[in-house]
Amino acid sequence: MAFCNRHFSPLQRRSLQLFFANLLLTAVIVVIAHKTYDQARASILLTYVLATLAAIPVIVVIAVVGRYMARETDEFVRMMVVQALLWGLGVTFVADTFLGCLFAYPSIYTLIPPLNLDLFVVSAGVALRVQMWRNR
Amino acid sequence: MKNRLRVLRAERGWSQADLAERLQVSRQSVNAIETGRFDPSLPLAFKLAKLFETTIEAIFVEDSAAASEGSH
Repeated sequence: MAFCNRHFSPLQRRSLQLFFANLLLTAVIVVIAHKTYDQARASILLTYVLATLAAIPVIVVIAVVGRYMARETDEFVRMMVVQALLWGLGVTFVADTFLGCLFAYPSIYTLIPPLNLDLFVVSAGVALRVQMWRNR
Repeated sequence: MKNRLRVLRAERGWSQADLAERLQVSRQSVNAIETGRFDPSLPLAFKLAKLFETTIEAIFVEDSAAASEGSH
């Protein structure tokens, strides 16, 4: 058993595939939601539907991570993944808080809304790479 | 927590990868345990003890115990 780029276990490979597929799904949903909202001047109901749609990838990520954690038998690898996920959460919270304050000012309200999930996945991925490098 | 894993492994001429394969864990796990960066769970400690045909106490030594042994 190994944990590196060339020797992922089938579980790790499958989880990564699901993770990246979900990342793509997030981007597609966000683009569709914004386009629909901009073009159709959405009703309250449609706004709620779009917001719910945008939350689906978050639920998928939780399910993928939960599935992986439940099935990963290597406790050290599990610990590295948990630490990476905590880094991902930390970066996302900090970025959200920062952007949340900026959005309070109308002059910069036109900023692109942050893709929280993408930020989380990318920062957790970077943190995991660092962990793997430190424990190579 | 200090441990004698590296010594026990070397006595048998096993590489970290060999030991990892026997334990069904990653090589990184073995390396992290050996260098004291990661303390294994009780089931893994028992697995190690069984593999080296010894007791957990013979493999793992508490830091304070190791320090007092060193001072005598």
